[in-house]
Amino acid sequence: MGIRYIKEPELIDPVLVASWPGIGNIGLIAVDTLRRTMHAEEIACIEPVDFFYPNKVIIRDGELVDMEFPTCGFYYQRTDKRDLILFVGEEQPAEGGRIYAEGSKAYAMANLVLDVAQKFGCRRIYTSGAAVAPIHHTAKSRVWAVPNSQRLLDEIKHYDNTVLMSDIEGRGGQGNITGLNGLLLGVARRRGIDAICIMGEIPVYLQGFPFPYPKGSKVVLEVLTSALGIRADLETVNQLAEQSERELSALYERLPQEIREQLDRLKQATVAAQESTGGITEEDKKKILEDIDKFFKRGGREEQH
Amino acid sequence: MSAEPSFRIFEKPNLDRPALITGWIEDASGLGASSIDYLIRKLGFREFAEIMPEGFFPMAGVVVADDVAQFPDSKFYVSDEHNLVVFKSNTPRTDWHRFLNAVLDVAQKGCGVKQIYAVGAMISYAAHTMPRLLVSIVNSSEMKEMLEPFGVMGNTDYETPPGQKPTLNSYLLWTAKKRGIPATNLWVPVPYYLVSLDDPRARKRLLDFFNVRFSLGIDLRDLDAEVMEQNGKIGQLFQKSPEIEGYVRKLETGEGLETEESEKLAREIDDFLKK
Repeated sequence: MGIRYIKEPELIDPVLVASWPGIGNIGLIAVDTLRRTMHAEEIACIEPVDFFYPNKVIIRDGELVDMEFPTCGFYYQRTDKRDLILFVGEEQPAEGGRIYAEGSKAYAMANLVLDVAQKFGCRRIYTSGAAVAPIHHTAKSRVWAVPNSQRLLDEIKHYDNTVLMSDIEGRGGQGNITGLNGLLLGVARRRGIDAICIMGEIPVYLQGFPFPYPKGSKVVLEVLTSALGIRADLETVNQLAEQSERELSALYERLPQEIREQLDRLKQATVAAQESTGGITEEDKKKILEDIDKFFKRGGREEQH
Repeated sequence: MSAEPSFRIFEKPNLDRPALITGWIEDASGLGASSIDYLIRKLGFREFAEIMPEGFFPMAGVVVADDVAQFPDSKFYVSDEHNLVVFKSNTPRTDWHRFLNAVLDVAQKGCGVKQIYAVGAMISYAAHTMPRLLVSIVNSSEMKEMLEPFGVMGNTDYETPPGQKPTLNSYLLWTAKKRGIPATNLWVPVPYYLVSLDDPRARKRLLDFFNVRFSLGIDLRDLDAEVMEQNGKIGQLFQKSPEIEGYVRKLETGEGLETEESEKLAREIDDFLKK
């Protein structure tokens, strides 16, 4: 179980930004966009065999030629303001068929990620993912930020379009972050490394869909680039976000009137939540999810009466 | 992740670079496990090693099947007389790489295995009346050459499609390749409507191969009787339902079935044979 180093550049006070697949692939799209647009170079990878089941076998003329595994790579780029290390994991090391990292392998991977971060002198980590929220897909997502130390709260309060758990109606500063996005925060805290999880909002009714939600990635990127003081080409993610909104709107039009009316209430709820004057109830949220689930189980057809 | 040894060897068998045959209990039609069980029964294999379940299977209770509590089993058996080792196991749920390496540790260090044959069923849209092929995937040209005289199909080109995962047998083949152990996956296509039932014709095809390859001298006529018995039962269903017979005839001619037809065929045969 280990790390393979490809090159070992001298980096100055780098920041590590990590991502894995998750709801809407919000964090993964954000960090992978940074990796591609900044032409970040691979410096290391985590050996995958101890963590993952293979995802591809290649057979030629009856002979097994190769087998591929999900990759977990570290990439670096120097910028005017600061040096960056980006970590992109293709899968979370889950146990027992779960989607999110859990158990001894997840803990081992979190430690390996931090081993690399510390080897290159990182003193700050960001993780990125999704925050499931009672918002409408036409609304601008906000970013929820959770630090692993109280002293980072003031810094976060200066981030644009960003809320803390205590700013969110009904949460009272409580919540949980599943998978490696959360675990990395905890393990970093044990090692005395500052870490912040940046989560882009995704509408509650899209949380179970296997679609990416680039609108959430876009706001994550806006906050990250601003916090890091770096410039990145966000054109691709902007285009993806626009395309996603067009596709979701087309799908929305196919929903039965009754479900649409319930979801339309989220348009008001979004405004209300942002003004901290209330939103839809948990009961409403449950009914919306049940109705949408039933609609898709019927193959996207309206109920026959 | 435990540093404890993940296997136990009860006795060191006296073998001369034997072959290892592996099969999984969860295989379609139970082909892997039933073929191994057949060899154990006919050739008098004895258990000599096991992989410990901890770390590979969930330890959160037991599954009950056919009224009986089950527990994961991963056992090795040996036949000194035939210089053969067999391994039958439930498919591990996690830590597959360590599990497969434990299998290879027992095979290499415990008894000096020189070749591995991992058997399994692949789902086919052919009728049960059609002959069963034997398809091989190898991990070395040496193994390919060795299989050539045995009439095994071995020219597959394949890449796992996105969203799917390779089989555990492929993973075993790859792990063996990394250790330089020649190995093959032997696949027998099983009609999709027999996947949750038994397919004695597929088992016969596999055991025919081993019988010849290792000169085992097993009398396989009991398997012919099982094939005839199953054909007879399906024939009774045909008499009751010409529609079902029509579906099977369509498969025989390669015509293919509509989704509803194929689902009905599987359902009716399953219900009838499980009576």
